[in-house]
Amino acid sequence: MKKKVLATLLCATMAVGLLAGCGAAKKESDSGSDSKEKVFRYAVSTEPTTLDPTKANGIGDNEIQHALTESLVRNTAGDVQPGCAESWDVSDDGLTYTFHLRDGLKWSDGEDLTAADFEYGWKRLLDPETASPYAFIGEYIKNGLDVEQGKKDVDELGVKAVDDQTFEVTLENPTAYWLSLIGSSSQYAPLRQDVVEEYGTDFAATADKNVYSGPFKLTGSENNEYIFEKNENYWNADKINLDKVQLTYVEKPETQLSMYEAGDLDYVQVPSAYVPDYEDKSEKFTNGNVDYCYINHKSDNKALQNKNFRLALNYGINREDYNKLANSSVHNAFNGLVYQGLQANGKTYGEAYKLDSYPLAGDNDKAKEYLEKAMKELGVSKASDISVELTTTDAESSKKIAEVVQSQWTENLGINVDIRQVTYAEIYGEVLPKGDYEIAFGGWGADYDDPYSYLELFKSDAAYNYSQYKNDKVDELLNDAKVQTDAQKRMDELHDAEQEIIDDAAFIPLQSRNIFYMHDERVTGLNFYFCSLNFDWVYADMK
Amino acid sequence: MGEYNKEKFVIKGKSISGMESIHRPSLSFWQDAWRRLRKNKAAFIGLCIIVLYALLAIFAPMLSRYGFSSMDTSAMHATPSAAHWLGCDATGRDQWVRVWMGARVSLTIGLFSAVINMCVGSVLGGLCGYYGGRLDMIMMRVIDILYGIPSLIITILVMIVLGKGVTCLIVAMCIVGWIGSCRFVRGEVYRLKEQDFVMAAKVLGIPDFIIIVRHIIPNIIGLLVTNLCMAIPGAIFQEAFLSYIGLGIAPPNCSWGILAKEGIQYLRIHPHEIIWPAFFICTTMLALNLLGDGLRDAVDPKLRGTE
Amino acid sequence: MAKYVVKRVIAALLSLLCLITIVFFLVRLMPGDPFTSVKLTKEVAANMKSYYGFDKPLLLQYATYLGNLFQGNFGYSMKYTNKTVNYIIGQTFPFSADLGIRALVLAISFGLVLGIIAARNRGKKLDFICVLIAIIGTSIPDFIMGAVLQYFFGIKWGLLPVAKYLGFEYTILPATALAFYTLTSVSRVMRASMLEVVQQDYIKTARSKGLTDFRITWKHQIRNAITPVMTIMGPTVAAVLTGTFVIESIFAIPGMGKYYVESINNNDYAMILGMTVFYGMFLVTCNLIVDILYGVADPRVRIGKR
Repeated sequence: MKKKVLATLLCATMAVGLLAGCGAAKKESDSGSDSKEKVFRYAVSTEPTTLDPTKANGIGDNEIQHALTESLVRNTAGDVQPGCAESWDVSDDGLTYTFHLRDGLKWSDGEDLTAADFEYGWKRLLDPETASPYAFIGEYIKNGLDVEQGKKDVDELGVKAVDDQTFEVTLENPTAYWLSLIGSSSQYAPLRQDVVEEYGTDFAATADKNVYSGPFKLTGSENNEYIFEKNENYWNADKINLDKVQLTYVEKPETQLSMYEAGDLDYVQVPSAYVPDYEDKSEKFTNGNVDYCYINHKSDNKALQNKNFRLALNYGINREDYNKLANSSVHNAFNGLVYQGLQANGKTYGEAYKLDSYPLAGDNDKAKEYLEKAMKELGVSKASDISVELTTTDAESSKKIAEVVQSQWTENLGINVDIRQVTYAEIYGEVLPKGDYEIAFGGWGADYDDPYSYLELFKSDAAYNYSQYKNDKVDELLNDAKVQTDAQKRMDELHDAEQEIIDDAAFIPLQSRNIFYMHDERVTGLNFYFCSLNFDWVYADMK
Repeated sequence: MGEYNKEKFVIKGKSISGMESIHRPSLSFWQDAWRRLRKNKAAFIGLCIIVLYALLAIFAPMLSRYGFSSMDTSAMHATPSAAHWLGCDATGRDQWVRVWMGARVSLTIGLFSAVINMCVGSVLGGLCGYYGGRLDMIMMRVIDILYGIPSLIITILVMIVLGKGVTCLIVAMCIVGWIGSCRFVRGEVYRLKEQDFVMAAKVLGIPDFIIIVRHIIPNIIGLLVTNLCMAIPGAIFQEAFLSYIGLGIAPPNCSWGILAKEGIQYLRIHPHEIIWPAFFICTTMLALNLLGDGLRDAVDPKLRGTE
Repeated sequence: MAKYVVKRVIAALLSLLCLITIVFFLVRLMPGDPFTSVKLTKEVAANMKSYYGFDKPLLLQYATYLGNLFQGNFGYSMKYTNKTVNYIIGQTFPFSADLGIRALVLAISFGLVLGIIAARNRGKKLDFICVLIAIIGTSIPDFIMGAVLQYFFGIKWGLLPVAKYLGFEYTILPATALAFYTLTSVSRVMRASMLEVVQQDYIKTARSKGLTDFRITWKHQIRNAITPVMTIMGPTVAAVLTGTFVIESIFAIPGMGKYYVESINNNDYAMILGMTVFYGMFLVTCNLIVDILYGVADPRVRIGKR
């Protein structure tokens, strides 16, 4: 009896094992089966959160949508070219844009693409019922914020399809970078009302539950594998070289590297720990991300409200050593707030303006000097009586960064530094928005090519003023820049604001990020950008 | 064959004291166990390794000239040398010191959580198994509920409430950790109490307490000890797992799990950073397992007195 | 017997309900909320909260959740905004189950064999070798084991695929890495229990009857020794499940474990709840089966129950 039970048990387990094996794991990748077909394979380490262009949340989602959707213009690495719109007129006050759409635009299913699709898509973005996590990117449009807050009806949004080929938009303020923004943000994609309504909440849940306006259409989205195929109905299909793109979600960057070396991928980003050993084989781009420590200016810790102490913290970091220790010198040690590669009237921002900031190698004497002053003002006799808490996420890289900063402050200043680790959800859900921290490691990447994107974080009434910082001079400069029409003067004002934030030691700059990547030698035509999306393979080719 | 008669037999003498004498020296249960443990070479080596590691964990960081959290740009990823016996990690921290600082944490967590789990689990499991009935039914339902909630979520919640640290880790791991041993002990006791010698004892009217102490415990202690020796590595492992998914103790402190997690990233280019933590985790497990086997044999009542 | 089973099933259902309730309220106590990203504004957050019904009273939310659950509907994920939890589980569970079952089969079969060989050759070299193999299995955390196997077999020697899960050869490395730890506990319990059984009178009787060694081991020893192994099946399945969390991320397997860890980090309430309930159902069912089998295998337990 018992033997039978045992035997049955074993047999059953094995049988189930075999059946399950047949059921689940049979899906051979057919890449490379046809040698003439140009297939590009790459991997990402954050899984796309959605395939709905309106709800795209962050760089990962946006990179996918950049290939699947076509907005009025297309922004390829900062170069803004006509997209669905052939041409456009801007009113003299810079507020009204009239777009003229091309003839014969088609969706991937063959239906005509009209101005009404844009009107529907943009209204859906701001409709509170859609609850798009990126709805704020539509606040440039007239009444955008009010619609989003439910104060005004969606129909009052400043967009209008005049006829099938004319689309009119009114903005809240004249915004120089707005075209470049809509060219790289998929939230501004056209949408087909009938398709969205047919699937309802299931819209874009899988590849077949959507139609596509962009150079590629999605034909597979299952089991962490996304298959893109060339969209023959795309207006500029002649310029698109790839036949197929296979994107795999592989969480561990080390695994991605292994897959690349085994020939399973054509492009890979080198995990930062491996960069020193792959430096000669790889190339790099900057992704516009600037990392720094926020200082909570309203925290209970009195020391942080003391400017001299904040200066001591800043001078007490040797950013060059920091970069070596924390990042294996992968990134650039950085002492500013605005990414240096932004456009500033024909030059890059870094070339146009020289920031007067803390030396990259730190300055211990100055740090001590400021600390002495601070201690006097605070009435503290020993440096070790001052404690600060450094909050960071539990990611391995952030942990290392916190450890390095901790060790430098402890050694150079003699103060106590405690590290508090929280999850990513916690830091952006509670810690930063609610000001529940003293010093927190974070960073910022721009959504649009303008210094304002970075500086806004230190404006007292901004949504992202995580530092709870208030400086009248900064507010004044930024408010003025918002309406300033003289481009040169505006840029000067923005730079002055940055300088003021640095002089006041409002935060602790650390690094500006580099990404190292390798690709198969057959691959050409890859583009990299530092706003909204990083990696753009739309025009790539396989030789 | 020949004839037997009384004359052929001689009475050699009759001594009451001789009959009562015990042939082997009187040893307590644990004396006997210790005697047999020493005879088991593998187990004895295991014991030595554990003692050695414990001593190193206490003294090695004190005696080294490096601080466990002091970084050095000139020694990043340094390979083992006279200056740094086990090399350095990515930020130039001395691995020798970090390994033994990690040992403090890992061994403490392993020992405490395993012992606590075992004690709580055995008592509850024993009571359930022995008395059965309503108590058993209620306990089993509670256990099923707790068991159904993947321990991860409870551990995370407790860690969030208590914050990071060794004590919090132990508490978090014990909140659900005792369930395994509870179920195990219950099953064993259930089985034992149906056995004849327990029945006999019951029929003879021996009180439950005596039955448990005299009959049940000695019969399960072997399995319990084996389990305990498996539970310590289990706990060290769980700590490593929690560290791996980002929970654990606050930096710059470290445990073997954290060292292994940090090191595994560099497997392909700086293997020494993973080899050492892995080596020490591995040898500790080996030692504990050998010791566990030895103990199992040593405390087995059925093997008592055998050579 | 039927009565025993029915009682067990009812109890299992009750505990499931408790589990759902506890987890439903526990996740709300976790710091942070599901709608977090670097660039979320207050307006957007408010819209998203009302979209998911978080502005309603908690008890009403609970009732709604239970109602939906009763219809087998776990709701929409809050991170993967247009996917239902049912869809994600449906997509990912087959991979986890496939991996888990392969690992379990490997672990149980090799574990039992190792345990039996070790016990039969107690104190000899073969025992030592078996124990050593088993110990090596326990000694290495599965994330190290996975990465090392991947490095040597996948990258250095190029014998097996590095990652993904597309066919039999892809399953070998992850299943082996996952099986090792479980294999060890099975073999150790089996060895201990075999040694326990060998002392029993019926083995002596069998021996004195002159039965062959093989017959004694197979017919009397093993089938009696297997019961304690069955008690650890519950924890073993749980251990394999936990193992999948790590192994799946190393080998880029589109399984469920990874999503579970991720949903906890993202505070994705619907996903945490859905997956916990799903895992809970799975484990409760496993325990139920073990309990029932235990009753079947050991009649004394069943009789004692009555």
